[in-house]
Amino acid sequence: MTRRNTLLGWGFLLPNLAGFALLTMVPVVLLFYYAFTTWDIFGGAEWTGLDNARQLIHDAVFWTAMRNTLYYTVFHIPLTLVVSLGLALLLNKRLRAVAFFRTVAFFPYIASIVAVAQVWNMLFSPGYGPINAMLRAIGADHPPGWTTSADASMPAVILVGTWREMGYFMLIFLAGLQTVPGELYEAARVDGAGAWQRLRAVTLPCLRPTMFFVIVLLTVNSFKILDLILVMTNGGPGQSTLVLAQYVYRKGFEENQFGYASAVSVVLFLLCFLVTVVQFVVNRRREA
Amino acid sequence: MKRSTAAVTALLLALTGCSSGDGGSGGDDANTLTLAGWSLATTPEFKVLADGFHAKYPDVTVALKEYDPKNYDTQMIADLAAGKAPDVYVQKTLKNFYTYQNGKQLLDVSDVASGLGSGTNGLSSYQVEGKTYAIPYRQDSWVIYYNKALFDQAKVKYPDGSWTWDDYADAGKRLTTGLKAAGSKALGVYEHVWQSTLQGFALAQSPGADLTSGNFGYLKPYYTRAVDLQKAGAQVSLGDATTNNLTYQAQFGKQQAAMMTMGTWYIATLLSQQKSGDADRFEWGIAPAPQLDKSTTGTSATPVTFADPTGMGINPKINKDRIDTAKKFLAYAGSADAAKALAGIGITPANTDAAAGTIFAIPGVPTDAVSKFAFTKHDTKPENPVGKNTAPLQNILNDLHTAVLSGSKDIDTAIAEAQERAKNEVLTK
Repeated sequence: MTRRNTLLGWGFLLPNLAGFALLTMVPVVLLFYYAFTTWDIFGGAEWTGLDNARQLIHDAVFWTAMRNTLYYTVFHIPLTLVVSLGLALLLNKRLRAVAFFRTVAFFPYIASIVAVAQVWNMLFSPGYGPINAMLRAIGADHPPGWTTSADASMPAVILVGTWREMGYFMLIFLAGLQTVPGELYEAARVDGAGAWQRLRAVTLPCLRPTMFFVIVLLTVNSFKILDLILVMTNGGPGQSTLVLAQYVYRKGFEENQFGYASAVSVVLFLLCFLVTVVQFVVNRRREA
Repeated sequence: MKRSTAAVTALLLALTGCSSGDGGSGGDDANTLTLAGWSLATTPEFKVLADGFHAKYPDVTVALKEYDPKNYDTQMIADLAAGKAPDVYVQKTLKNFYTYQNGKQLLDVSDVASGLGSGTNGLSSYQVEGKTYAIPYRQDSWVIYYNKALFDQAKVKYPDGSWTWDDYADAGKRLTTGLKAAGSKALGVYEHVWQSTLQGFALAQSPGADLTSGNFGYLKPYYTRAVDLQKAGAQVSLGDATTNNLTYQAQFGKQQAAMMTMGTWYIATLLSQQKSGDADRFEWGIAPAPQLDKSTTGTSATPVTFADPTGMGINPKINKDRIDTAKKFLAYAGSADAAKALAGIGITPANTDAAAGTIFAIPGVPTDAVSKFAFTKHDTKPENPVGKNTAPLQNILNDLHTAVLSGSKDIDTAIAEAQERAKNEVLTK
């Protein structure tokens, strides 16, 4: 009976697992091999040992991309966290038409990224865009050039990135909020705790598992940000929004240096891995 | 239980797709040739070539295999690596020719090349160490497109082939003020967002300019002029063009700008858009591209311009029986007959002389002397040299392009930086 169950379980798993193994696992494992070769797609990959790694260390563009990726991550994670949690708290109340507002907040996440980028680019347009028109109306003489200036392009991308993802994480937080026992709030109220104290002493501690999950997801999402950058700024102006994932794409698919691109991907992988492990350990300690 | 295991196995097999690695795809029939193309519905050139060849050799059929235009090279590279690419495939951009040639993905077709007349332009771009690896069938070149009505409105004289870039910039500014005075919202110039609009001309026209030297000082006058035109309000800034996703077809076709430089491929597009209503109906003309100095202006000289040829090569994994047929097809694609057929749909073939009569007979194509001169007479250099450093250098120069035109960096700083990067990232590697 158990054997039968096991087999049946595998049977259900297998179609997906096989596809995953073949189309994701195998390429990922191969990637670690290619990172130590020069491979330009045609012909064999030539083993070059640590050559790619050495080149990476002296590659100024790689470091620019690394800095930009960290820039995005450092601002995108807390911003999205605060906004999505705020939205979740707001929409966790018994409001009229609460479902409508939840849907509205979730909508950016399912909208086509290309269309979204297009619309935001128009809003950000320095000469004709409504954002700058508004800024001028309230007295800003030199509003930022947003996606067309090297200084403001990353903030613009971060803003849109946050706007896009806030609905998704709001939903996760909303689910987390349902697990907070109502008696705790009652007890806190009886003890005379205000709204802020209730949030700090009851809501946030109870949300810790959710928070951990959200932070890990956000970290990985931020490190591998690509689509938004590609369609909004394509890494520009200059290299002001060039991120690691895009650098991988450029080296691999535009310049056909798949060996080197693989080496950059490995760095990206290690970065995600390390940060996630650290978060995991920190979370464990707090729980203990 | 057995049944479910069998079902899973079947599913797996379907997922992995059993492939036999016997090379070239398409029919095994010696008389069917497969040819790669993109956007077949809107790019009729492949069908024209296939039909023309079939008419000449009725026992051979050319089957088209469609690719996505934006990911053409990525898909083609994948297909070639997997041994599933068509017999004959197009070199969509010259930039990637190096990848195919160096990767041994093109048969030597020197014998076809030697059989072509001298009228075929762009052949040298496909020659490496004395051997030819692709046959060009189109050779566009960049010219000025201008809107006669807007020029009249602004009271500025049409370009007559005598223009240097300074004359062009000057006319752009006068057009803008003239049009404004006449109550029109159109600007004098539209330059599309591509780096080639400036870098292509700079590389082709500046004496001694060499992309692979890593010395980019030749770009300076071109960028200084472009930044100045943006500041003067005579052209939409790069930022506004990219954030609003402006298309050059709408900018010129909807009369937002009085003139722009663009490749001759736009002739066919403009004609069809004027017919369909996607573009306004107005009288337009083409003129030779502005020149670096007076030595190459005027109709007695040969203006220097740029554009890449588009060529066709043969997949080395082609079935041996079909190699001769494929070579015959390449010879046809580069022939005067094919040139006329292509010109009939508004395309600029590699053999321009053979096509001039056909293209100027199409209703809507301007027939004034300057337009004819611009179409037939030019020294068209490739946009980029063929080599392994071209793609990374172009990426560096594209960063320069967006940094300078967005005003994030001045041209001197940007050039110094690009040269430094070229040295460190590409040339000394």
